[in-house]
Amino acid sequence: MFRQENRKTRQMLASGHIGYDEKNPYTTTLNFYKVPPTLNITIVEFEQFALDRMQILTKLMNGQLRNLPPAKLEASMNEAISKHMPMSGNSSSGHGVTREQVLERQKDYISHFIVRLAYCRSEELRNWFLRAECALFKYRFERLSQKEQLEFLETQHLSWKKVSDDDKRILRENLRSTALSSFKSGNAEDETYFEVDFEKVPLLVGRRQVYVQGGKAYVPLAHQVSLVLDEFKERLSRDLEAMGRALPRMEEDKRLMPILNHLDKQYLGREFTSSAIAGEIQAQDVDGLKVHMPLCMENLHNELRQDKHTRHGGRMQYGLFLKGMGLSLEQALIFWQTAFGKLTPDQFNKEYAYNVRHLYGMEGKRTDYTPYSCKSIIMGNTPGPQDHHGCPFRHFNETNLRAQLTSHMVDEFDTEDIMRMVKGRHYQVACTRYYEVTRARMLGIGTETLKGGGLSSNGGSEVASQELIEHPNQFFEQSFKLMRDFSEKKNGANGDPSEVQAVPEPTIKGRYTYRMAGPGTSSTSNNMDMDME
Amino acid sequence: MEIDSTQDATNGRMPTVEAGQPVDDDEDLDHIFDDMDEDETSAPAHNPWRPVHAPLDVHNVNLSDYGGDNSLKLKLFYRHFFPMKQYIDWLNYDTVSDSKLSASDIKLSKTFMNREFCFTLMDDTYIRFQSYKTVDEFRQELTRLNPAKIDLGAIYNIRPRDKASVHASAFKPMSKELVFDVDMTDYDDIRTCCSGGDVCMKCWEFMTVAMKIVDSALKDDFGFKNLLWVYSGRRGVHCWVGDERARQLNNEQRKAIVAYLDVTKGGERQGKTVKLPNNLHPSVRRSYEIIDEHFKNIVFNSQDILRDPTHWEKILTLIPDETVQQTARVEWEADPDREPSDKWEDLRGFVRKAIATPSKRNLLEHVLRDIMFQYTYPRLDEKVSTNINHLLKSPFCVHPKTGRVCVPIEIENCEKFDPTEAPTTETLINELNQYDTDHPGSNLQDWEKTSLASYVKVFEAFVKGNVKSIRSTKQAKAEPTLEF
Ligand code: SF4
Ligand SMILES: [Zn+2]
Repeated sequence: MFRQENRKTRQMLASGHIGYDEKNPYTTTLNFYKVPPTLNITIVEFEQFALDRMQILTKLMNGQLRNLPPAKLEASMNEAISKHMPMSGNSSSGHGVTREQVLERQKDYISHFIVRLAYCRSEELRNWFLRAECALFKYRFERLSQKEQLEFLETQHLSWKKVSDDDKRILRENLRSTALSSFKSGNAEDETYFEVDFEKVPLLVGRRQVYVQGGKAYVPLAHQVSLVLDEFKERLSRDLEAMGRALPRMEEDKRLMPILNHLDKQYLGREFTSSAIAGEIQAQDVDGLKVHMPLCMENLHNELRQDKHTRHGGRMQYGLFLKGMGLSLEQALIFWQTAFGKLTPDQFNKEYAYNVRHLYGMEGKRTDYTPYSCKSIIMGNTPGPQDHHGCPFRHFNETNLRAQLTSHMVDEFDTEDIMRMVKGRHYQVACTRYYEVTRARMLGIGTETLKGGGLSSNGGSEVASQELIEHPNQFFEQSFKLMRDFSEKKNGANGDPSEVQAVPEPTIKGRYTYRMAGPGTSSTSNNMDMDME
Repeated sequence: MEIDSTQDATNGRMPTVEAGQPVDDDEDLDHIFDDMDEDETSAPAHNPWRPVHAPLDVHNVNLSDYGGDNSLKLKLFYRHFFPMKQYIDWLNYDTVSDSKLSASDIKLSKTFMNREFCFTLMDDTYIRFQSYKTVDEFRQELTRLNPAKIDLGAIYNIRPRDKASVHASAFKPMSKELVFDVDMTDYDDIRTCCSGGDVCMKCWEFMTVAMKIVDSALKDDFGFKNLLWVYSGRRGVHCWVGDERARQLNNEQRKAIVAYLDVTKGGERQGKTVKLPNNLHPSVRRSYEIIDEHFKNIVFNSQDILRDPTHWEKILTLIPDETVQQTARVEWEADPDREPSDKWEDLRGFVRKAIATPSKRNLLEHVLRDIMFQYTYPRLDEKVSTNINHLLKSPFCVHPKTGRVCVPIEIENCEKFDPTEAPTTETLINELNQYDTDHPGSNLQDWEKTSLASYVKVFEAFVKGNVKSIRSTKQAKAEPTLEF
């Protein structure tokens, strides 16, 4: 792409700004990004464009990760878009596209390809990019008028087989009850339906939002976005992979690589890399550390103690969490063997030891598995009957969750608060709230100071979680640190640490890595006008 | 020890194979096997390498002398009863070989050669990523290893044995049958007749319902035609969808199908787990009809779920209304011997009365219907189906614990299938000897002389169907160009 451009283009690069590309009419704000750009761009623009796009992508991904309410997400997206990558829609009066609009859309187009270049280099990066770009595409698509949507589809020659009126009559009953079953109005007659292979719309099929017969899915116009998105995703994923394979040729470019390398560190997402604030912990410490665990882990711990067994999902979730806490492989083997008290050591060795070693990357592919984040616990593998893994805020029913909260002395007011968040599907927000009120209780701080997020006065701010709980190990570490600091402070003041839960002496051995987006620095600013030759 | 030589020769590092420890190069191995997961503590294994002095002639074997010697029985099974030719035809997925051809003369297709086989030996060692270039090679390996279990994995872009010769990311699963696994242990919270590994005709009805529902959804909704249902040898069933289109599905699409089929999700704590919309999706409505046929029998006769207080309490807690619960409790405690089906009718009445109050309508209107789903709808093992490189036990294995052969089940007659009657190596040997006494000089294949024959017929039909479907897809693809 950029590197492989022909000589003429490279010479033009020296001119220092983007040219106006007549070949590409940019008729709508949407783009399928099919053909790589053949435009001229300075290296400064190159980087700036990419960073600007990253701002938008990370904003969107984060907003979704945090389950922001739609209005809030919209507001924060609008802000980011107008700041970093303004995009104006076509005027309704039907005038052509202005030069300004072309430049905006061009920036969108080029920046997509730059970031694509940076993110095609590993499976993980590709996945993130694919998700982010699909989200952005969807976000934009849904904000177009229906007229614009159709226009766009036409320019892309996207068409799906319409279900004829005759067929619709035959299918009527089934289409109607499908619509009704997903709480839509059952007015199948007025709706336009497309007939597509069911493979094209896995999400709609999985949610039973379409009628499926003989291998065909009948997609109502309202769900058209799924079709478009599927098309977008399929192409992008194919192109990304192709680019990933072609990349070794890129690696020669000494000026682009640092920028690209920097870019792919940008995506937000919390990952837990190494162990752990509490230092090396021993198998027998685990029970004592339970107070610092989030509900999901405490629940697994209790079930494990009670049943002397836990099923696979639980072993993965809890085992990796413990690993993140600082339980070494050796100690983990002791912990699990003792925990599975019904088995003889022999049985344990034969059937589960491998499993534990596997978690520590000592078997199999030897990947060093990292503990699950909240997001993956919440969205991942739904617990079946008899499973105890998962996130209580997401997977418990109301009665059980309430009972849990009560048993942790969460008062009525806070319980209602938390339940409200749960109902709004803000599970991590609910967990954050749970963290705050329970920690406050442990430290003997009135929870009133925390109410409504008012965290300013007497002690509240210490307890308030600075950030959304995004990772069970973050919950643990925050809590652990809080208690430790608190006990140190108390220790200094009153010399009596005993009021606070006794925990093993901490030594900080590891930390989170927060991969933050931001206008990071890179090596190019001194080469302002360098072309790409 | 001989096992070492089975290790991938091209693989520079020699994996240590110890009992119970899979040689695994894939993540989450524990996800990869279908029924290895929970609590299967196995009996002390027999050493398959112990020299067997007795002649291995099936007619001269007195099995009772060998008692628990599973390895001998297995050897006999592979030698005399394993339907090699049909099996090869199946995994070849190209043609049905001429009936006169002997198995060794069949040429293996790329589909076969790139298929992962995984063998579990008698001592619980697993050997993954095996693959074969010729029938004889495969057959010899079978005789030599005498595996207690054969698992089939995906078809890869290169031969699985050569995987070490390429970078890990260049070794990719390309296709595999869409598979399903329904296991009775997932019903343990509602099963009252047996528990754990046991099954009887009473609880088997759960499997019958599962087969009917999944089968009709796969055929009617997704348009698949070639389904093979197989008894897992112990307490469950597997399904293999052989259609070309099914084999090409990616993980996301497999997930979609599983999600589409799944209505019973939710952890144990979720209490009442099934909550379906008032209006059922056409596919779920069809399942409901099937459930309706079986619910009464399962719940009132075989599982007796409304007979005594501990069981009926389980049902009552699923009804989110104190009044209904209390009314039923009072009524039934006064007359605990009331027939379960009458109790169910009582419940209907109580609920009907309750929903006269408009505010309760939404919550209660369909509660009994949802309970019916909860108690009878198939519970699928999701991971087996959604991951293309997951292993699943092959048909025509002998289950190491029950000794029963994993035989195909004819879906049209699935109600009649009785797992406790599935053939074992012993019964097959007896049938064979009986047949040979009655028909001296017969030149039928050994399996044809036994009750296995009818099962192989079912299998053959499946294999033929696959080949036919490939031909017609090829034709359909070729057609447009014919116009020129
Ligand atoms: S939000 Fe995260 S930490 Fe909290 S309970 Fe759920 S999964 Fe655990
Ligand atoms: Zn039973």
